[in-house]
Amino acid sequence: MKCKVCDKRVKEGKAYCEHHAKAYENVVDKYDSWNKALGVTWKVYLDEIIKNPLTGSWAKEVAQQLLEENSISGINSN
Amino acid sequence: MENYTLIVTEKPDAAKRIAQALDADGKPQNAKRNGVPYFVAQRNRTILVVPAIGHLYTVMQEDGKRGGYPVFNFKWAPRYAAEKTAQRTRLWIDTISSFAENAADFIDACDYDVEGSLIGYTILKYACNGKERVAKRMKYSTLTKPDLEKAYEQPLAHLDFALIEAGRTRHEVDWLYGINLSRALTQAAKRQSGTYATLSTGRVQGPTLRFLVTREHEINCHVPTPYWTVHAELEIDGKIFEAAYEKSVIGSKAEAAAIVEACKGKSGIVDRVDVKESHVAPPFPFDLGALQYEAYGVFGYTPSRTSSIAQRLYLDALISYPRTSSQKLPKTIGYRQILNGLKREKTYGNLAQDLLAKETLKPNERKQEDPAHPAIYPTGNLPDRQLDVSERRIWDLIVRRFMAVFGEPALKQDMRVSVAVDGHHFFLHGRQILRDGWMRFYKPYVRSKEIALPPVKEGDKIDVRKIICNDKFTIPPPRYTPSSLLRKMETEGIGTKATRAEIIETLYNRKYITDKTIAVTDLGFDVTETLHDFCPGVISVELTKQLEQKMEQIQNGEETRENVLREAVAYLAPLLEEFKRNEEAIGKALSEAVRKARIQERILGNCPACGTGKLMILYSRKTGKRFIGCTNYFKNQCKTSLPLPQKGLVKATGRTCRVCGWPTVTVRFAGRRPWQFCVNPACPQKRKGSGG
Repeated sequence: MKCKVCDKRVKEGKAYCEHHAKAYENVVDKYDSWNKALGVTWKVYLDEIIKNPLTGSWAKEVAQQLLEENSISGINSN
Repeated sequence: MENYTLIVTEKPDAAKRIAQALDADGKPQNAKRNGVPYFVAQRNRTILVVPAIGHLYTVMQEDGKRGGYPVFNFKWAPRYAAEKTAQRTRLWIDTISSFAENAADFIDACDYDVEGSLIGYTILKYACNGKERVAKRMKYSTLTKPDLEKAYEQPLAHLDFALIEAGRTRHEVDWLYGINLSRALTQAAKRQSGTYATLSTGRVQGPTLRFLVTREHEINCHVPTPYWTVHAELEIDGKIFEAAYEKSVIGSKAEAAAIVEACKGKSGIVDRVDVKESHVAPPFPFDLGALQYEAYGVFGYTPSRTSSIAQRLYLDALISYPRTSSQKLPKTIGYRQILNGLKREKTYGNLAQDLLAKETLKPNERKQEDPAHPAIYPTGNLPDRQLDVSERRIWDLIVRRFMAVFGEPALKQDMRVSVAVDGHHFFLHGRQILRDGWMRFYKPYVRSKEIALPPVKEGDKIDVRKIICNDKFTIPPPRYTPSSLLRKMETEGIGTKATRAEIIETLYNRKYITDKTIAVTDLGFDVTETLHDFCPGVISVELTKQLEQKMEQIQNGEETRENVLREAVAYLAPLLEEFKRNEEAIGKALSEAVRKARIQERILGNCPACGTGKLMILYSRKTGKRFIGCTNYFKNQCKTSLPLPQKGLVKATGRTCRVCGWPTVTVRFAGRRPWQFCVNPACPQKRKGSGG
């Protein structure tokens, strides 16, 4: 099995490699703060963090992948 | 010449200083044998001072082989036998040996620390045919005449064997870790890729790289969250002041907007003025780490640069021995004598005079001590040559810091004015230095900012000009700089004051890290992750710390070298077996990283012709000759192709030409100055004939 984002191998039953798994965790965790702060949807949130220059590169890659996977289903994909 | 005293020093400059100080006329005879300088001083007897060039002996594999692992048998041998690049040490060893034959007695005058003591010990033991037990030891902290004369007249009766034992053990343990793990990594990558690339890790190098990788993970995984700040522009006496809202972080846009709405168009009332006076204690004296940190903060010098500048100032007898961890200045260094010396320099005249006028001089010290040396201090000597800018700056920093530690505490006043606007509070902060105390001595380097506030009192009405709301995002943690990394190593207790800066340099040289604000390369990531997966102990800070503590214990006589070596081998042996079993998988991961790193090295910069590709060094399949091509060539989008010299080592500079914006490269030829040029053959600068 390969990571959904990069070519690295992943452990059985995991969707992401170690780097992107941590980034995924952060992307999901921070949605709550964004929602409270701005009341944005999951899709808008992903769009915003992809555009934001302060977002880390792995977090950006995960957000991009989740967006491509099409919004909500991304939350439960790991 | 017979019956002379042979003094061994660590470096030629130190030998010269010592000979000058000990010669009755201050004019020793300078001579050379086999190209090795030495000095003959006449005192009550003939003294021959001969220098080393740092370590002349090192640890190497007992059977002399250079490949394969695991390897646990080692010996101390001349460096020329172990390192191809250390051939000139043969001349030095031969010369010292020839002087030792007719010497009546021996003195070790190398720097008084772990490394210096080990250098002296190995020379006396191996080059002087077992004189380490009869030799005396000169102990000094500055290369000034009085200190050196005292150290010569009252030498220690024997070498500091506890210090030497600790040094020997450190070198041997580091060799066991370094050689085995570096060979394991290099061999695994070579087996897989067929090409050789030096990969290395070590007892301190591994955990240091891990700090950087952990930080890089945090940066790469960072998701910014929005927050808002609100401040008010207040007009007082015709001037505008910025006041911060009582809550520094507002978590929702709606809340921030409500605050702005509530305060807009209203005026404010000063409802409280708090004034607090407090003393600011003088700084403490510099140890090496603090000097490196400060020099990075004020001049941007890397720790290794500061360390080498300080070493030069020490060899010029301008400052005391810099590789110290002490934060104390004992009375015995002669505060007044030093100040009297500094007084002769115009810039310091008045400052030194003010301190000399004090009845007692008491430095502000911290707890940390170093058994070998006090904190860094100026000797009071003035430069007898023109110092370059960086030397002058570091010397000035040390001189001013020395004077500042004797200064009176400064007195500052902090003022906080609370302005109520429709039930919301905004704060104005002011700061004033009421009495500068020690800051006068340290002026150019004091980083305390004064913020003047107008005189206001409770009940004053204040005009609110504007209420401003700022959109903000949380930021990732900052990247380490060489200076903050050095401090991290210090606080984590890994490495020594003498080795930390060098280890950071090694990480750069191995291409594990890049840039001044340190970024970890793919190769750095992959090496750390491989070690994490297959031998996590090697990058464990805890394990490294424990070893450092054991080394300290050896120095204090509470632990033995044999025990520490036995434990190191017991730890490494099974780990290396495991590594060998996984060599294929490890090799795969590493060879890919090496391949990527090599490709990265060949990229010179963006292609200005197509705007999207990268210019890269390529090799012609037909002729094998090298040239520059665009990566978009393979997509049929760009045909840029540029010539390159076929000889010399070509490297990207990472900079673009000031005239045309194309990348520049450096070509290095053995024995010649590097040649830097713009790769664009049509660069206007070239037409002028100056080469871009």
